[in-house]
Amino acid sequence: MEGSKGAKLTAKTIKWISPLFQAAAFLLALSFTTLILLAVGAPPGQAYLNILKGAFGNTNSIANVLVVWAPLLLTTVGVLITFSAGLWNIGVEGQVTLGAIFTTWVLRLLQESALPPWLIILLAMLAGMLGGALWAALAGALKTFGGVNEIFGGLGLNFVATALTLWLIFGPWKRPGTGSMSGTLPFPETLWLPTLSGLRLSPWALGLALLAVVVVYLMLRGTRFGLRLKAVGKNMRAAYLLGVPTWQHMMASFLLCGLLAGLAGALQVTAVYHRLIPSISSGYGFLGLLVAMLVNYQAVWAVPVALFFAALNIGSIQLPIVLRLDSSLAGVLQGLLVLSVLLVEGARQQIMKRLRLSDESAPVEERP
Amino acid sequence: MRKNIFRLALLLMAFAMLLTACKPAATETTTGSGTAATEAAATEAAATESAATEAQPEEFVFGMLLVGPYNDRGWSQAHYEAGLYVEENLPGARMIYLDRVNPADRPGTTPAQLAEELVAQGARLIIFNSDDMKDSSTEFAQAHPDIFVIMASGDQVWAEGNAYIPMDNMVNIMGRMEYGKMIAGCAAALTTQTGQIGYLGPLINDETRRLAASAYLGARYCWSEYLGNDPAALQFKVTWIGFWFNIPGVTADPTQVADDFFNTGYDVVISGIDTTEALTEASRLRAAGEQVWAIPYDFIGACEGADAVCLGVPYFNWGPAYLATIQSAINGTWTSSFQWNGPDWADINNLDTSAVGFVPGPALSPDASALLNQFIGELAGGLNLWTGPLNLQDGTPYLADGEIATDQQIWYLPQLLEGMQGQSVSGE
Amino acid sequence: MDVALYDIHKTFGRVHANVGITLSVPAGTIQGILGENGAGKSTLMKVLSGFIRADRGEIRLDGRPVVIHSPSDAIRHGIGMLHQDPLDFPPMRVIDNFILGRKGGLLPGRAAAKRDFRALADQFGFSLDPDAYVDTLTVGERQQLEILRLLWLGARVLIFDEPTTGISAAQKEKLFAALRLLAEQGRTVLFVSHKLEDVEGLCHKIAVLRQGYLVGDVRPPYKTAQLVEMMFGKSVAMGERQPAKPGPVALRLESLSVEDDRLKVRDVSLTVHKGEVIGLAGMEGSGQGLFMRAICGLVRPTGGRVWVGDQDLTGRSYLAHKRHGVAFLPASRLEEGLVPGLNLTEHFVLAEERRSFFVDWNAGRSLARQRILDFNIRGAPETPVESLSGGNQQRALLALLRVPLDLLLLEHPTRGLDIESTIYIWSKLKERCAQGMAVLFISSDLEEILQYSDRVLVFFSGRVTPPLEAADLTTDRLGELIGGKGWPEKGGQG
Ligand SMILES: Nc1ncnc2c1ncn2[C@@H]1O[C@H](COP(=O)(O)OP(=O)(O)OP(=O)(O)O)[C@@H](O)[C@H]1O
Ligand SMILES: [Mg+2]
Repeated sequence: MEGSKGAKLTAKTIKWISPLFQAAAFLLALSFTTLILLAVGAPPGQAYLNILKGAFGNTNSIANVLVVWAPLLLTTVGVLITFSAGLWNIGVEGQVTLGAIFTTWVLRLLQESALPPWLIILLAMLAGMLGGALWAALAGALKTFGGVNEIFGGLGLNFVATALTLWLIFGPWKRPGTGSMSGTLPFPETLWLPTLSGLRLSPWALGLALLAVVVVYLMLRGTRFGLRLKAVGKNMRAAYLLGVPTWQHMMASFLLCGLLAGLAGALQVTAVYHRLIPSISSGYGFLGLLVAMLVNYQAVWAVPVALFFAALNIGSIQLPIVLRLDSSLAGVLQGLLVLSVLLVEGARQQIMKRLRLSDESAPVEERP
Repeated sequence: MRKNIFRLALLLMAFAMLLTACKPAATETTTGSGTAATEAAATEAAATESAATEAQPEEFVFGMLLVGPYNDRGWSQAHYEAGLYVEENLPGARMIYLDRVNPADRPGTTPAQLAEELVAQGARLIIFNSDDMKDSSTEFAQAHPDIFVIMASGDQVWAEGNAYIPMDNMVNIMGRMEYGKMIAGCAAALTTQTGQIGYLGPLINDETRRLAASAYLGARYCWSEYLGNDPAALQFKVTWIGFWFNIPGVTADPTQVADDFFNTGYDVVISGIDTTEALTEASRLRAAGEQVWAIPYDFIGACEGADAVCLGVPYFNWGPAYLATIQSAINGTWTSSFQWNGPDWADINNLDTSAVGFVPGPALSPDASALLNQFIGELAGGLNLWTGPLNLQDGTPYLADGEIATDQQIWYLPQLLEGMQGQSVSGE
Repeated sequence: MDVALYDIHKTFGRVHANVGITLSVPAGTIQGILGENGAGKSTLMKVLSGFIRADRGEIRLDGRPVVIHSPSDAIRHGIGMLHQDPLDFPPMRVIDNFILGRKGGLLPGRAAAKRDFRALADQFGFSLDPDAYVDTLTVGERQQLEILRLLWLGARVLIFDEPTTGISAAQKEKLFAALRLLAEQGRTVLFVSHKLEDVEGLCHKIAVLRQGYLVGDVRPPYKTAQLVEMMFGKSVAMGERQPAKPGPVALRLESLSVEDDRLKVRDVSLTVHKGEVIGLAGMEGSGQGLFMRAICGLVRPTGGRVWVGDQDLTGRSYLAHKRHGVAFLPASRLEEGLVPGLNLTEHFVLAEERRSFFVDWNAGRSLARQRILDFNIRGAPETPVESLSGGNQQRALLALLRVPLDLLLLEHPTRGLDIESTIYIWSKLKERCAQGMAVLFISSDLEEILQYSDRVLVFFSGRVTPPLEAADLTTDRLGELIGGKGWPEKGGQG
């Protein structure tokens, strides 16, 4: 983002060099995958075509891609905030889960009340954000007061969140009769976030996710708070001496990320599954971390990259159905993509170093 | 530095994905061509048969949603193979399937939505294979009255069930694993030297409770009737790990649980979970010279490689029920029903007829083996262990003397039985 | 080895850091490289040692053109460099650091390496424990380790970028002796500095850079005034001492005690008036740093009280001190002072007192431009701080200070600054003292202490002298005290 402010000549060069590298990474991943497809005797062209058709073939499939995209965007921009503060918020996965749990909780409490449904949904979603934030605050407190590295704290809290979900589903929130892997009893349709007619996509979910991207983008770029977060992330001691209350900012970044992750969890309940299920977080937390890393911590790029991942997820459903290909292929493509981006990024830094176009590549290296 | 560690982890992850993917993908091609061959054979067979039966060799596509990988050597593979069995035995039938149908592997999707993808590819009947998909199967069946739905392990269309939802296009299918577990319990009782049997349970619900109770009933019967021991001297303890398989940090570690059993005098462990930790742990201890045994679950080939300790395995065989049900959909004789299919007592391991089976394991002694066969014979002859007097774990009467449990009483068993140790309901 | 540079050019964006520099240095020479801050000294040396690739030009060793594209290329050709900002030292043992970077051989052969290490160290009179941990070494000792390492790797050309900043006088003597020995052995030494007295006493010839150009390569006898003119393009005069007119109390310490795991500073009482400048002298690590950090809340005092104005701030955080008009500038610029990865504008915005939610980047840029002019920083608003030259980083730090301040604590405020900048910075500081700001500063430059302080505290392994009138002190007396000689018997009770 500082590119626009960077020294004219180098900034410009880098502006068009960077996407070039990104494209190279993409091509590299694609050719690896093609090789694998050929090796197992599958027609690569057809495979790609089917993924494309599966993701964008009709309104319905596009809507399904967007259903995945919305929560993924939320977690991605959420972890971008913590990344800015130099923190690896691995706990984002558990924060999504807690968001879902809190949302379910409020829905259960209020579903029989006389309140209008829209108000119940609103309260439930706010509760979800609160839940995510609380869980994040816990990771933050462990980090700032307990000295527990946020990676380990986050991992631990993720486990606790999963255990809590299972306990609720098979214990206190068990559906009448048999506790089921299928989750808690589905909520009545009045408590579903409205969807576009005939589709599973809720415009609200989409709107909230896009709003979050814009807000986070503006926050990191244009506010004093965002600047302070960056300073804390790049050099905590210096930031402190420059007058930034550091632990408060780290905590705030955790809370904000938790809010967004909690919102993602709330959407999973109100817009997608309409109940609490065992793996309610759908792995969006980890996927979000991955996307955030791939986009080199720039909020704008999160939009297309998250879309790509969402499309891959939905499109690859066709592979086992139509081509009888193993369904882990999508995972492979995803893994290869990450791999090639890392490889190409390594190469890029080498080359930049050679060229000494240091003022843009250096900050990249300074990141946590 | 931290970034580097994380990147390294990612690299490893990516490599792992690559490796795991390559293997099954390679298997898939052979399976694929194999299927093509059988398909060709089937079409041929259909062609030759078509003269005799007047069935038209018209294609009937059925779709299957598997909760796990199609080759998991467990629950999902058993269903997948049943699908292949239908393709083989029903001219014109063709399966399309989607595996890993769960929100962790397919974020943001629901089984109902994925079923629609199968329909879009021509499926006219959908099999949902897991309890996870219960709500989705209902939702889907109601939204698509023209598509046939088989919900395996569900009870929605059981008119006498607790959660009856009439749906003309749905059939529930489940195997009476109770028998398999009784036989497993008997094998354990006939083998134990200490009179202590451990049961490695997954999570607590009606299904898992009734299966654990069945194992206990079988064990108690063989213990007292065949060995002449005092039923009160038999210790039968259930430990729940909290899920169908080990999730580090979330569930109890099944290896640890099995180990605790073996170390505290429980010399036979019956597994109720999807994975084989009990068997592995028993083998390890056996190698160290201890007299211990284990009984796995679910998959017909589970004993493989654990000859010294495996007493046998109870398994599901979905093929015959699927075949008949799909046939009825084709013939137009489909009726909504709840099928709870027992073993074929003529031969419980006949893959064409028996819904549930038990393969005796190599570690079962000849004496025990003979008694086990006697037990199976008695069951075939009408022995019903779900007969009173039976009390629930807390002493509440469950069945009066001579009273025979109804299917509902068994299906919705509210607690473990008196005489069993272990938790009856999830902790609150 | 003879080293020759031909027509070296290097630009960074719009900055022309080296413009057609041609210089030859015969074997056995100590070549001084002199120049003001940002003149291009470090850049030229980095070109020679492979850290930077020149845009144009040629390097010849013993008359043969060589291609040097990386530090490992350079060391292969026998060129090694000690950097201006000591690179990160991981917490490893001296001997492991010594072995590090050795080509070939999976097993380092520690025993043999240790023997070599001892032999080399003896040769130069360095007393380094090979089993000590690197992070416990002083800057001077790290330098010694680095010299030994480069020699062991086969360096025949050694480059020293401002090696005399941050080391004690004794260590400096040792260093100079070592450099002379290196030259006698036929090695080539390039010695970068902007301290005239260092260069004049040591170097066989002196090249002077100004704004990227080589403006001269002179031989003894040196004329200081001439060198200064070459450096700055004009003559520079030291100002007069300006004693303060004491105002009301700015800082009062009552029996302040503070300790860390190595040192105890006990019962220091001191009253500082507005406008006063107090110099803290002593060898690096004698307690002055700890003392200063205790005053501003970065380290918790173990006893006593700290009053700023009429506020008791004992035990309060640094941020609380900051709110009461106290500021602290650390010595390690890129580790504690500035945020690498952020540019100058971002720094100024960050340090601003404004509380608005959104940043007005245009205002930020013009603020940055203003400060850059005020403090004569060679850089643009969008220059990331890590690409500023060392001296310019120091100016940037000073430029970041908020404007009305009651008490300013400085660690080595002019380390790395050329004389002109030093004089300029101090004139700025004195200006603010005249408006009522009090200053405490640490320096290892005795001249600076005597020139700018009103009173002086001398530290020696945790002991502190009572405040001494600077006007009564001489460099000799100060030097003695710093070395632990001539202390009053019961010294330490400030
Ligand atoms: N990596 C870089 N990117 C952009 N500009 C740079 C970079 N390195 C140095 N410069 C600029 O080049 C000029 C020369 O810098 P150099 O570090 O060589 O100065 P110097 O003579 O060593 O100064 P000092 O005495 O302050 O250390 C300065 O204007 C500096 O800002
Ligand atoms: Mg320099």
